[in-house]
Amino acid sequence: MYQLVPSVCSYCGTGCGVLFEVLDGQLLKTLPLKTHPVNQGKLCIKGWNLHEYVNSRMRLQSPLLKLNGRFHGVTWDRAVQFAADKLKGIIAEHGPDSVGVLVSAKITNEENYLLQKFARAVVGTNNVDHCARL
Amino acid sequence: MKDKVRDWLETGKVDLFLGYKKVDGHPLPHAFSKENLAELGELIASPARYALEKLATEILAIKPAIKIGILGRDCNRRALNVLAVHQQITPGQIEVLEVNCCPSPLRQHAECSTLQPQTYGAVKLELGIDNNMSVAQMEQFDQESLFSRWMYEFQKCLKCYGCRDICPVCFCKECSLENGDLVATGDLPPEVPLFHLIRAVHMAGRCIDCGLCEEACPVDIPLRLLYRKVNGLVKDLFGYETGVSFEQPPFSLLGESTPPEAEPHLKAV
Repeated sequence: MYQLVPSVCSYCGTGCGVLFEVLDGQLLKTLPLKTHPVNQGKLCIKGWNLHEYVNSRMRLQSPLLKLNGRFHGVTWDRAVQFAADKLKGIIAEHGPDSVGVLVSAKITNEENYLLQKFARAVVGTNNVDHCARL
Repeated sequence: MKDKVRDWLETGKVDLFLGYKKVDGHPLPHAFSKENLAELGELIASPARYALEKLATEILAIKPAIKIGILGRDCNRRALNVLAVHQQITPGQIEVLEVNCCPSPLRQHAECSTLQPQTYGAVKLELGIDNNMSVAQMEQFDQESLFSRWMYEFQKCLKCYGCRDICPVCFCKECSLENGDLVATGDLPPEVPLFHLIRAVHMAGRCIDCGLCEEACPVDIPLRLLYRKVNGLVKDLFGYETGVSFEQPPFSLLGESTPPEAEPHLKAV
C-alpha cells in the first residue's frame, strides 16, 4: 500500500539518488537518498519536484503525430515507423550527412551509446552531438 | 525491537510501521505491515535519518483512519509534538518506538548520523561560517564580520527549497517562500538575506533542531545554527522550549489572550 521506492533522478546526467513515496500506486513526493554516493542526501529544485511531472496532467503519455496540421495520439509502432520512413526518405534524397543525432544527458550511457551507434552504423553519419555541449 | 513491532502489528495496535530496511546497501525507510511480517527480520535502526513523522503525517492526510507507528529518536518525538501543537496530528496518534539517539557523551551507543562534525574547506572557514560552531562561538565575530560571513553563506543559495521540503515541521499549504510578493521568482540567488530570514522567522518556536535542513543543503549553509539562534531568542524572551510539550508557542496566541511581553532588559536584543 505504502512504499518507498529508490530511483535515480531523470532530469540531468548527474544521477542523483532519489526516493519516491508511493501510496496506493500514486506518487506522493520525492526525497533525496541520504546514503547515495552521488548526491549524499542533497537535491536541486528539479530533483525535489520529480513527482510533479510524473503526475502532471500535461504529461504526454503517447506519441503525437502531426497529420494535416493537427497532432494525433498514436501508438509507438506507428510513430517509430513514421519517423523511420521519413528518415529513409531524407537519407535517400540528400545523403546520410543531412541527418544529425543529438544525444541527451537525460538518458543512460547505454542509450547514448546506442544512439551514436545508430547514427554511425545505421544512418551512416558522424554528425553526433550532445545536449550538454550546446 | 523486532518483537515489539511484530506484536504491534499482530495485535492491530498499528496497521503500518515505518522503520528502516537495507535495500541494495542503502538503509531506506520502509513500511512494515501485517501482510509482510516476514520482512521484520530486516528491520534496522538506520544511521541515516529520514523524517519518518513527516511521511506518517502525509499518509494520515490522505488516509486519516490508518494507525501508524514509527521508529523514533528524540528529534522525531519533538517533531511529533510540534505537529500536534499545530494540529497536523492529534497527540498520540502516531505510536513511537524509541531507539538510540544522536551521539553525545551520555549516549555512547548512538546510531545517528547527525552531530558528527564535518570538516569544511579553507574558503568557507575564511569567509563564511563553520557549520560546527555553537551560537556562542559564532557570536565571537564582530558585527561587521558576522554580517559579511552570513551574507557569504546566504548568497550561495541555489533556492532548491530543500530546507523547507525536508523539514518535518513544515506543512503549510501556502508557503511564504513561494509568495511572489515576498520572494521574487526567477532570481538566483534569491534576495539575500530576506529569503533565509523569512524562513528563520517562521522557524521560531517551531524548529526542533533535528538538523535535516542542513544535511539537505547542497551548499552547506549553516541553517541549523541560524535556527538555533532564532529559537534561542524565543526561549530567552518567552521561556518557550520548542517540541518538549504540547504547549502553544507564543506566536500562536490570538484573540483575547495577550501574548507574553518580552522581558524589558532583553528587548534590545
